[in-house]
Amino acid sequence: MAPKKKEEPKEAPKPKAPEPEPVKIPEFNPTEVVLEFTPEQIEDFKDAFQLFDRTPLNEMKITYGQCGDVIRALGQNPTNAEIMYVLGKPKAEEMATKMLDFDSFLPIHQHICKAKDRGTYEDFVEGLRVFDKLGDGTVMGAELRHVLASLGEKMKEDEVEQLMTNQEDSNGCVNYEAFVKHVMAS
Amino acid sequence: MGCGTSVTTDNKGRRLTTAMKAAILIQRWYRRYIARLEMRQRYTWNIFQSIEYAGEQDQLQLSSFFSFMLDNFTQLNENGPDLISHLLDPVVDPWSDRERQTKYEQITVPESYSGPHLTFPLTVSHTNALLSAFKEQQPLHGRYMLQLLHQTKKLLKQMPNVIHLSTPYAKEITICGDLHGRLDDLLLIFYKNGLPSAETPYVFNGDFVDRGKKSVEIIILLFAYLLLYPDHMTLNRGNHEDHIMNLRYGFTKEVMQKYKTHGRDILLLVQDVFSLLPIATVIDNKVLIVHGGISDMTDLDFLSSIERHKVKTDCKPTGTVESPRCRCRGQPESPRCRSKGQDHGKTPKKRRHLTRQGSCSSSSSSSLCSPRGSSRLTPRCCLSPSMPSPTDALQVFFLMMMIIIMMIITTNNNNIDLLWSDPKSQPGCSPNTFRGGGSYFGPDVTSRLLERHGMSLLIRSHECKQEGYELCHDGQVITIFSASNYYEEGSNRGAYIKLGRELVPRFFQYQVSRNTRKLTLTQRVNVAEGSAVRAVQEKLFAHRSELMAAFQHYDTSNSGCISVSEWALVVESVLRLDLPWRTLRPRLARLAPDGSIDYQSCFEDMGPGQPIPQVTPNLAETLYRYRTDLEIIFNIMDKDHSGQISIEEFRQTWRLFSAHLGVEVDDRAIDELAKSIDFNKDGSIDFNEFLEAFRVVHKLDVKDQQQG
Repeated sequence: MAPKKKEEPKEAPKPKAPEPEPVKIPEFNPTEVVLEFTPEQIEDFKDAFQLFDRTPLNEMKITYGQCGDVIRALGQNPTNAEIMYVLGKPKAEEMATKMLDFDSFLPIHQHICKAKDRGTYEDFVEGLRVFDKLGDGTVMGAELRHVLASLGEKMKEDEVEQLMTNQEDSNGCVNYEAFVKHVMAS
Repeated sequence: MGCGTSVTTDNKGRRLTTAMKAAILIQRWYRRYIARLEMRQRYTWNIFQSIEYAGEQDQLQLSSFFSFMLDNFTQLNENGPDLISHLLDPVVDPWSDRERQTKYEQITVPESYSGPHLTFPLTVSHTNALLSAFKEQQPLHGRYMLQLLHQTKKLLKQMPNVIHLSTPYAKEITICGDLHGRLDDLLLIFYKNGLPSAETPYVFNGDFVDRGKKSVEIIILLFAYLLLYPDHMTLNRGNHEDHIMNLRYGFTKEVMQKYKTHGRDILLLVQDVFSLLPIATVIDNKVLIVHGGISDMTDLDFLSSIERHKVKTDCKPTGTVESPRCRCRGQPESPRCRSKGQDHGKTPKKRRHLTRQGSCSSSSSSSLCSPRGSSRLTPRCCLSPSMPSPTDALQVFFLMMMIIIMMIITTNNNNIDLLWSDPKSQPGCSPNTFRGGGSYFGPDVTSRLLERHGMSLLIRSHECKQEGYELCHDGQVITIFSASNYYEEGSNRGAYIKLGRELVPRFFQYQVSRNTRKLTLTQRVNVAEGSAVRAVQEKLFAHRSELMAAFQHYDTSNSGCISVSEWALVVESVLRLDLPWRTLRPRLARLAPDGSIDYQSCFEDMGPGQPIPQVTPNLAETLYRYRTDLEIIFNIMDKDHSGQISIEEFRQTWRLFSAHLGVEVDDRAIDELAKSIDFNKDGSIDFNEFLEAFRVVHKLDVKDQQQG
């Protein structure tokens, strides 16, 4: 047999960082959520909830698909992944058909409200600075559009368009501090 | 390890992660932003709809006032308000057809007139001339208007109540909904779809006039095309083709402003023409087109047989001061009323409504013929102390009249239902309390009617829809609405339907946009929302004393603050618009540091147009609230359209109005007010100036005006 001098031992892995153990995120259990809302807040939520209720008999129910909209309309900004998590990871077709009543909505909303790391103005600006090649406070609109449509929780083209309207200057650059203010001002 | 590439790989990896994080952050915030925008759009829409329908309900109040005035006014003034009686009585035309025609031909048109000249029978060149003239803001002379109306009246007399059409081979019929005086929308439709012709037949489903500023131009065009192509043009009557509605919603005013000499004659003629418009159209015996809707009492065969021209108006005096409003929240896409037709929890209101009507049948809330006799039929009329109360003999007479009227009511149900009803999602048929007329009809009512007549589709209008059209009752009912930007710039699109042989509707949408093209979605929502919020603020201001009294009732510690819940409760109980008050709160009232509401702040932004010192806050408020009604009444009293009425007339009108409303107003206060408004002390009042003072304005507007 030929000497194995030059062959690297196949099995010996290159020293790489140990794979993190997959963190077992437990399924969302609404009954474990402690509601900390005041009665006034709950009335406010009811008000908004009703606004989105499209059932013919006004049963105070919304579809799973609307859940994210209502939570956002009330001022939170979860990711889509977080929404899916609190809804119990429903299938795509369930989003339009499965209904959520107000009482089931509350623990979901509470969980989202408690989540930390909402993203501050600085986080935002930091994130966008990545794209600031010239370091002059602007990013290329085209690049930003590309990123929004292809990374993360991708946005659709018309959504990107809507967001970016009137943000770019004549050179196609976006002043990102102003941009962040615009987005956060809702 | 250690080689340069992996460092850059790591850097790259880190940058990618940061980029991804940034992207996710932006995406999250964007989705929040859009959701909040959607919420604002929804409540803006709710506000517009609520206020619109609440306003239409007030209409009943006005008509009951007319009958009251009619009963009592003649005792004060021997000559009587001839326009009122003319309007409420069936018109008996003393002139023959030929005489009228000659009379109009004798009207001279001045040399200086540069608009279109019409000769009859009309030709395409006339309609083209009208189109160009209106695009250039050139009006049509009164003489031609009268002649046009006269010819239209002659034509319509020959038409049946229900028009039967058939889809022409290889062509489509275009069906349009409410236009409400929006000429731009009509022109846009003609532009997109083609002018009416044998190739392009049209059906216009009512509500051509009121609210918009170009109702006159619209009916001129519609009637001209009707005369030109009577077989290819069909006009259905809408609930706004009604002189009482016109008095309130702007058409009458528009006519009087545009035609100073012939305005009255035109109005009387228009009234006749409106009452002669057909009430329904049927296509291929399969598609029914009416303006409002149907009810469980609709019978098309019966409908064909009634004498429609006798029904001048659906707004009849009934003595109701305030019909209960349906407590419901509007949704942009689904039927407006949450509790429409739902009996549980709402029966008390319905019952109250029914008893007020006395022995009226349950499926319609207001339906009396216009004959004067019926107007005496209001035993609960509040008579001002100086007038004699009805004797016992009269009361017996009243009762007999009631019985007769009851019989008339049942025959007139059909008419009202067709023009005023709205679909609802629950089964059954119930009175349309929100509108104050017509019914709410459920999917079962639709199915039954369509089945009975072998039809497959009901097309109606009457309700504004965000997309210009909406299907309901499982596709059996289509609502088509053709006035885009109805509530506000950018509020909704307009649409029309094209129907071919297969009777499968195709929808075409559009939106007239002078400025909207340049506005982003956010800006459009801001504009619409601003306008809606202002409308609500005006309402709050107009009910200030009632609201303050109720607020103070809850404010036991006299701190000027109450909880948000209490605030929302009070506002809803006074205004009864069924809006999401808590969500609207940030736009309407300020919070105190402890989270409660400083309720005075509701009224901060609004103020009177011009201060009038003699007016007490109470009086001012009443005037704000009824400003539109007063304007209408003054306009009627002003027989020579000079813009002035005598002080005595002013006083009497005001006394009557307050007696009717049951509002306590000090006679002396009115007298002083009248004297103070008579600026040049000649015994007459310029009521437009008077009313200007009682227009509620937003304080910011006033500032702008002062600076601008």
